[in-house]
Amino acid sequence: MTATLAKENVIGRPLDRIDGRRKVAGAAPYPSDFDLPGQVHAALISSTVAAGRITRIDRSRAEAAPGVLTVLTFDNAPTLVDPPQNALGSTMRRPLKDDRILHYGQHIGIVVATTRAQALDAAKLVEIEYAEEEPVLDMDDPRAAVEDNPFGMASSRGDVPGALAASDVTVDETYTIGAEANSPMGLFTTVASWQGDRVVVHDTTQSPSFLRTALAVMFQVPEQNVRVLIPFLGGGFGAGLRLWSHTVLTTLAARVLDRPVKLVLSRPQMFHSVGHRAASRQRIQLGADREGRLTAIDHDAIAANGLGDNLPSPIVAVTPTTYACDNVATHERRAHLNIPYTGFMRAPGAVEAHFALESALDELADRVGVDPVELRLRNYAEVHPESGKPWSSKALRECLEVGAERFGWSGHDPTPRSAHDGDQLIGLGMASATFEFYALPCTVRLVVDRRGNAVVRSAATDIGTGTYTITAQLTAELLGIDVDRVRVEIGDTDQPPAPQSGGSGLAGALAAAVQNAAGELAEQLARLDGRPGESFASLLDRHNLDELAVTGYSDLSGAAEHSDVAPAGAFAAAFAEVGVDEDLGLVRLRRLVSVIDGGRVFNAKTARSQAIGGAVMGIGMALLEEMAYDPNTGRVANGTFGDYLVPVNGDVPDLDITFVGEPDTFNPTGGKGLGEIGIVSIAPAIANAVHHATGRRIRDLPITLDKML
Amino acid sequence: MSSATTTRSTQVTVELRVNGRSYPVRLDSTTTLLDALRDQLHLTGTKKGCDQGACGACTVLRDGKRIVSCLTLAAQCDGSEITTIEGIAEDGHPHPVQDAFVRHDALQCGYCTSGQVMSAVALLREGRAGSDDDIREFMSGNLCRCAAYPNIVAAIREVADS
Repeated sequence: MTATLAKENVIGRPLDRIDGRRKVAGAAPYPSDFDLPGQVHAALISSTVAAGRITRIDRSRAEAAPGVLTVLTFDNAPTLVDPPQNALGSTMRRPLKDDRILHYGQHIGIVVATTRAQALDAAKLVEIEYAEEEPVLDMDDPRAAVEDNPFGMASSRGDVPGALAASDVTVDETYTIGAEANSPMGLFTTVASWQGDRVVVHDTTQSPSFLRTALAVMFQVPEQNVRVLIPFLGGGFGAGLRLWSHTVLTTLAARVLDRPVKLVLSRPQMFHSVGHRAASRQRIQLGADREGRLTAIDHDAIAANGLGDNLPSPIVAVTPTTYACDNVATHERRAHLNIPYTGFMRAPGAVEAHFALESALDELADRVGVDPVELRLRNYAEVHPESGKPWSSKALRECLEVGAERFGWSGHDPTPRSAHDGDQLIGLGMASATFEFYALPCTVRLVVDRRGNAVVRSAATDIGTGTYTITAQLTAELLGIDVDRVRVEIGDTDQPPAPQSGGSGLAGALAAAVQNAAGELAEQLARLDGRPGESFASLLDRHNLDELAVTGYSDLSGAAEHSDVAPAGAFAAAFAEVGVDEDLGLVRLRRLVSVIDGGRVFNAKTARSQAIGGAVMGIGMALLEEMAYDPNTGRVANGTFGDYLVPVNGDVPDLDITFVGEPDTFNPTGGKGLGEIGIVSIAPAIANAVHHATGRRIRDLPITLDKML
Repeated sequence: MSSATTTRSTQVTVELRVNGRSYPVRLDSTTTLLDALRDQLHLTGTKKGCDQGACGACTVLRDGKRIVSCLTLAAQCDGSEITTIEGIAEDGHPHPVQDAFVRHDALQCGYCTSGQVMSAVALLREGRAGSDDDIREFMSGNLCRCAAYPNIVAAIREVADS
């Protein structure tokens, strides 16, 4: 074994995902599939107003209902300690903290009964009166508290006002995006079981290590007393990255009753309990010369946040490093509203920023008469625009060129309304994208035995991205054994701590930790006087050792500061063709080419699936998805799958996915993360195609038919 | 006293025939087939995604036809032949649709997969896999938020053509 990835015998190959057989058999256990002996069932009591105070709670009828074991509200529940901040910088208001109502659907109590039906029934019997206040639901409401530069992302280089004034051509437009719900298929679930001061929690979380820490703090028990289990998640797309109140309440109820308690959120509850992509408005000002070279970018963004919430999800963070431009300024604000808490949703911030930037660039291309692909190449950031360092890898040029080639971009008539197919107006559009990955410290335990098998253990979780599979492939490659000799044990916080599955960073962090462990193993084996080419199994056998265990560690976040290259994120370009029926206002995506530089691809099959998933969520963002709040009550008015539309199979045409680029030179294993880059350029590519088809520039997502008529 | 339904529940005895086995069960008359399968028969392969008939995650076959088990009362299924994801392997071998789903990576998180597979099995029997557009249309009642859709179409296409 070599502990290097030079040969790529196993890594990169399109192996079937190793958990696939269990999933197609219905045998992969998700949190809602766990039922514990003695388990009882919980239902939440949710606020029916969006702002105010609770003035009276009467639990008596609920407590007297059949099967009811307890009813917990702020005035009778044990007091918990405030939760800590997670690695992504978010905290949570402690549930049942006081009588304040901050948003509709706020969890203000929990009922536990012998059966789920009894709990749901009894939850309706809790009488609650409110001193209601008029909720603040709109970013432009003068009563809204607006926080300036909440994440320190305001920035300025050069002289933007001067450069804008001196520009030959300017673009100054405003772009808005509706709130979107992550809407994973799996209903978020908590099953909590205490034994004395120890608790086991099955929970739909993308961040098991943090959940363990948070529960330990809140319930004042040692961390090692908390075990979080999440072998299979059921989708998250960021919804599982924050600590949510239903998890805490269920764990609390289990502690109070000293019995296992299970809570499964309903689909409507999912819309106000596990976060969403905040509604946002962005103003972009571009200055350029007559050839379309950017002389100034000014990017101002405001988005909605929950009241008192601090979710760090900046929009403008990507702007200063996206294009070569001497004069760039960014501004960021958050309006705090009586809306359910926002959360992280696939490529948070970056996808919003790119919709605005890449739409504005298309408008600039139009004004200067330069092809949109050529315009992006003229403004290509060959080095990191702020540090001046070379990128650790960047194949955005190939994304643009390969994408244009595969799509058949060149030579089309750029004139809007110039192409038809029957009664459809046909339009082509493109956009490019970048997304940085967030790799945090990761630890793994690697155990090999004399029979030639290996086990990798970590508290990471596989949210459907293929973590099980690529970890097995990496380990097999590094140890020189077959993939089916590797067992991957993740989704359990009794294993070494890992970062969240989010921010496109887990694959890189985990891979680097596995590589580190393999290197450590190689050193230990070397001390056992291994013969050239000898397998670890043979070596262990000769020394009569059953197994050998090592620990591997990675911290790419720390390494970035001392690097002489600028760690690059992933890059992408998307090319879209739409057909627009002007009589109906209907926009349909006809084909899509997506080309991605994600560095080293660990598994070509699961990587392609990530790209497809991102693209389709981008189609939803562009054409379908928007949460609607009742303007009077703040209720999520379309919180069902019948009303909040996500793309279905029939919405998705053939997708052409290609990966380009080389292994990244910053990440030891060469990967750059693929979970998010695939969505980032989709919505602007579609919006630009709609403009080409119709001559109408829709600057407000989603592009629903009411906006086309 | 307003409508606390548990105080007026009606227990019924139903014979559920699932995957060739017979299960006499006693349950509340309002119990859905989905809840009966998961909570009483412990067949948790069938998933609850919305409980409102809008996502298809709970798709099972009743007398060979695909239904959403969350909108079907268990009591309506007395005497029906129910097939779930746990019942489509033949002699210990995965159903060809299951095999094709794995090979084409027609799943990611896997939560909707049972419903997708059951819907695909029925769609093939219905003779609705004529073109890729047909497959897309007749699989559009099964949401997949991971969006494995193109791979689901490819997997069904392969089985249809074999």
